[in-house]
Amino acid sequence: MDKKQLQKFIKWLQEKNYIVIGPIKEDGQILIKPINEPSQLDFSGQLPLYSFKKFLVPSREILFKYKKDDFKADLTAFKQALIGVSIFDLKAILLYNQVFEKDPYYQARLNNTLIIGQSQIPQFQSLSFKVWEDKYEEDILEHLQFDIFLGQAKEKKSSEFKIFTGSKKGQQILNDFTKQSGWKSDFEHIEYAGPIKEQGANPEMTKIKEKMPGSLETDIWQNLDQRCIECGKCTIVCPTCFCFSLADQPCLNKDEGMRKKCWDSCFYAEFSEITGGHKFLKNTAERIYNWYYHKFVRIPDEYNFPGCVGCGRCSMVCPAGIKIHEVLESIKNKK
Amino acid sequence: MLNSYLPKIAVIKNIKIQTPEVILFTLQLKNKEDQKNFKFIPGQFIEVGLPSFSEAPFAVCSNPDDSNKNFQICVRKAGQLTKKIHQLKINDQLTVRGPFGNGFPENLTGNILLIGGGLGLVPLRPLILANQNNKNFKMQIFYGACEAKDLIFKDEYKTWQKSANLALTLDKQCPNWKGNVGLITTLFDKIKVDSSATAILCGPPVMYKFVIQKLKQAGLDDANIFLSLERRMHCGIGVCQHCSIGSKYACKHGPIFSYQELKNIPGAI
Ligand SMILES: Cc1cc2nc3c(=O)[nH]c(=O)nc-3n(C[C@H](O)[C@H](O)[C@H](O)COP(=O)(O)OP(=O)(O)OC[C@H]3O[C@@H](n4cnc5c(N)ncnc54)[C@H](O)[C@@H]3O)c2cc1C
Ligand code: SF4
Ligand code: SF4
Ligand code: FES
Repeated sequence: MDKKQLQKFIKWLQEKNYIVIGPIKEDGQILIKPINEPSQLDFSGQLPLYSFKKFLVPSREILFKYKKDDFKADLTAFKQALIGVSIFDLKAILLYNQVFEKDPYYQARLNNTLIIGQSQIPQFQSLSFKVWEDKYEEDILEHLQFDIFLGQAKEKKSSEFKIFTGSKKGQQILNDFTKQSGWKSDFEHIEYAGPIKEQGANPEMTKIKEKMPGSLETDIWQNLDQRCIECGKCTIVCPTCFCFSLADQPCLNKDEGMRKKCWDSCFYAEFSEITGGHKFLKNTAERIYNWYYHKFVRIPDEYNFPGCVGCGRCSMVCPAGIKIHEVLESIKNKK
Repeated sequence: MLNSYLPKIAVIKNIKIQTPEVILFTLQLKNKEDQKNFKFIPGQFIEVGLPSFSEAPFAVCSNPDDSNKNFQICVRKAGQLTKKIHQLKINDQLTVRGPFGNGFPENLTGNILLIGGGLGLVPLRPLILANQNNKNFKMQIFYGACEAKDLIFKDEYKTWQKSANLALTLDKQCPNWKGNVGLITTLFDKIKVDSSATAILCGPPVMYKFVIQKLKQAGLDDANIFLSLERRMHCGIGVCQHCSIGSKYACKHGPIFSYQELKNIPGAI
């Protein structure tokens, strides 16, 4: 599929009432936004500032509205196509698919979402963001969940895409498009083989995981305690962070309002605070430790794969200059 | 797919003031079928809410055998939501999600020592009520409160004593109080605890460290000491991260843990 055909395909999706969302360049930054024109899409492979997170887990969502005795949850979701999802962000979606496996709001959204990944293959394009050693082998697509994947052949730059499908939905859509557009179909189906490679858990993850527990007293966290200002930017920008709180928002009308689910950040002091003011995460060191612990121990314990996809966004936004790869290095080198 | 965030409506059927700060509410789910199917294990909690005032976790504290008819929560006035709940009247409504969590181990037999500090007696009550006629069960209860006016479930002690050995203590000497005075740990100096017993603790976090010391001295096994942990909670189902303890969640893997599970997790107790 070449660029022209891809643009046709996007137009066709829009005609099928899909809101197409993808990376576009604005003021020198790559942002992820709904697009009007296919030509707006940026396929340079540069990492967008934010991930696709908010399109699957919005920063605020209404769980239900209440009006006296009447409680209504709205589970309808609009059709959206997320296009140009990098390997990093696909890995994050893979995690979300498990974390929110029993969340009907997430599942409704996912069911109405077409996920179109994109990357150079087989090698991973953006080694400049190397956060921790994670080899992107040729078989990586088998371990990701997507509907369609646009592989950019390395030597041909971005002019030609090799098309893969990863789901029935993806196959169906491409078949329909082929029928209607006369596009010569040449796509390869990849059977999803689960999130974990045959060789088992990622050895680099295991190494960090083993060094994490009991390390709260070390200089690493005391040093970060002095530097981190608890702005929470790293959590907002991180494609795998998903902490949230529930809160009510009453309306002006009596007995009317809504309960909302909102993004939260474990860096905020009140995150673990209970009535009476006691906090279980007492200081910055404990809170930042908890963040690393979640990504490199708690998530691996629950799902057997890392809670960090290695995109490096947290390092890019941190006003205190905290770099995750440096922290991980010191954890690994800890005696 | 079950929507765990969508609450059910419960109607307040009875209100019983326990102390100036604590009220016992009897609730019944508005949907009769839901109430008939309502089941809980002692130690489990529900998220109780008041639209516009959000939700908070509360232990279900009634006899589990009655749960097809109604259930109870005992609420201490602590902040915004609980202050509002205290103003409610019979036939007012609350929202309920759950029950959530694991509850105390089931099919307990032998010597059972229940240790409650303050409001910690609340989640222990369903165990007491459910086992009053249990022949496989020898129940000993240690309960401590600050002052005489803080004792909860006072009018039930007589009945409890028919099947259990109840020892009370107050932190301070109060007028007309003939029982023990001193922290709950002082009961251990007066009453013998069987080393093969299963101990179940619930109380303020400061209590745990000292009571566990006493239990260890009495020769109890780490795996036979269970405690209920309090954490901030929002989702109740192990997703939002507020209640994480190491790699566990108080809402999902707890709130009841054995001391064995917790002793190596920094900050757990
Ligand atoms: C498993 C469990 C069982 C409990 N059982 C009982 C019980 O049987 N009786 C009782 O009186 N209390 C119980 N509590 C404590 C009770 O949940 C708090 O006292 C309550 O949250 C206070 O709510 P508030 O809105 O009045 O307090 P505020 O201080 O006004 O608000 C606290 C806010 O923090 C959040 N929060 C979430 N979880 C907690 C928490 N655990 N403690 C404090 N704040 C929290 C909520 O969003 C709440 O709105 C229990 C707590 C847990 C974790
Ligand atoms: S590198 Fe940072 S932003 Fe990216 S997934 Fe890991 S923790 Fe999150
Ligand atoms: S972005 Fe940096 S300063 Fe802000 S909370 Fe994260 S680590 Fe701390
Ligand atoms: S309350 Fe959300 S994880 Fe426990």
